[in-house]
Amino acid sequence: MDTNVLNINGLTKNYKKFSLGPLDLQIEKGTAVAIVGANGSGKSTLFRLLMNVLQPEAGSIEWFGQNLLRKETEIKGEVGYVGDMLEPFGHLKIKELAALVSHWFPSWDEKYYSQLIKRYQVDEEVKFGKSSKGTKKKVELVLAMSHRPSVLLLDEPSAGLDISSQRKMKEDLISFMEDGEKSIILATHNVEEVKQICDFITILRDGKEVCTFMKDDIYDNWGRIWVEKFPQGLKNNPNIIAYEENPPQIVTNNIREMEDLLQTEQVRIINMQRVNLEEVIEYFVDTEQ
Amino acid sequence: MKLPIRVSEESREPIYHQIETQVKALIVSGQLPPGTPLPSIRVLSSDLSCSVITTRRAYQNLENNGFIKTVQGKGTFVKEIDSDKKEETKRKVVLDAIVKAVEQGKQVGSSKEELQSIFEEAIKKAFND
Repeated sequence: MDTNVLNINGLTKNYKKFSLGPLDLQIEKGTAVAIVGANGSGKSTLFRLLMNVLQPEAGSIEWFGQNLLRKETEIKGEVGYVGDMLEPFGHLKIKELAALVSHWFPSWDEKYYSQLIKRYQVDEEVKFGKSSKGTKKKVELVLAMSHRPSVLLLDEPSAGLDISSQRKMKEDLISFMEDGEKSIILATHNVEEVKQICDFITILRDGKEVCTFMKDDIYDNWGRIWVEKFPQGLKNNPNIIAYEENPPQIVTNNIREMEDLLQTEQVRIINMQRVNLEEVIEYFVDTEQ
Repeated sequence: MKLPIRVSEESREPIYHQIETQVKALIVSGQLPPGTPLPSIRVLSSDLSCSVITTRRAYQNLENNGFIKTVQGKGTFVKEIDSDKKEETKRKVVLDAIVKAVEQGKQVGSSKEELQSIFEEAIKKAFND
């Protein structure tokens, strides 16, 4: 049985100065995946392709085992999307916007919508276009959740949110995932969000997938090792992610193997420490490498 | 409900094992009596900043070993544990901790006799002898 909610194969989108892909990505049901990358790395382009707002040059997107182009309406009913797509409706009051959006989704839950609007303290009488950045995000999130989707596709949902709304959002996303059947795909620059919500991390750089890993791999396998001197024999070792002098230290993504290698090379280990998620993300996200 | 569990920065043990050991210790010491509801896998994962895959593995092991049970739609609860098993687990938890301490001692170059005297000292301290 296919347990993937999303299968992306060879997805490619070309612009004059930027290309996304070819991208292959699978997302397993019941998991939360963070899409992380620098500004302009292709996160929003990817999300727009996933919602068929943009069309790819090549490749395919399957949601729930079905082709996005063939089953667009059914699929969109199951995906709650937050990604600045409501700007054209800025002239509507939030109340009117909600009424409009509710018609798009047969599964719309009006009672849940009212609860969420209250919870996030949104004034429905205000025009959407006149709302602050944070309020717009809140409205988008409320609308995305109110049609009871099985996947949330969230492009920087907490950008501009006040602290208490951020906490509420985190709680709501965690309870959304509670039954183990629902999934979240989250593009974010907020490491705390990745730590508290996500299971897997996919890193994009210049439109390409650099890597995908389970969050706990960092705890289990990554480390910083201070050594007596840098072993020249290990110069091109793929498990060495970074090397710094003064004092000599190695950052590795396979600490056990590195320990063995250093022992073989007869290099004394002075100290070892875990590497945190922020550091790891920076190593991958930085374009200079 | 928040459990007094933490993922150690220093330990080399995998996270799922740390969760397992700490939940077991809480159960056999009576801090979590039978019937106590445990946080859901998703919530515990968020508290510990780890992945659900890790937490699920810990809960599955605890369930397979008869420490907790999951009731469909209701949640996960602490099970009644017979006293033999309780004693055995207590012993195991303490032994594991001592083994770790001994390894650390060896790492810094302590001899067997030194470790024994340190152990005596620790006991004296703990029991105010």
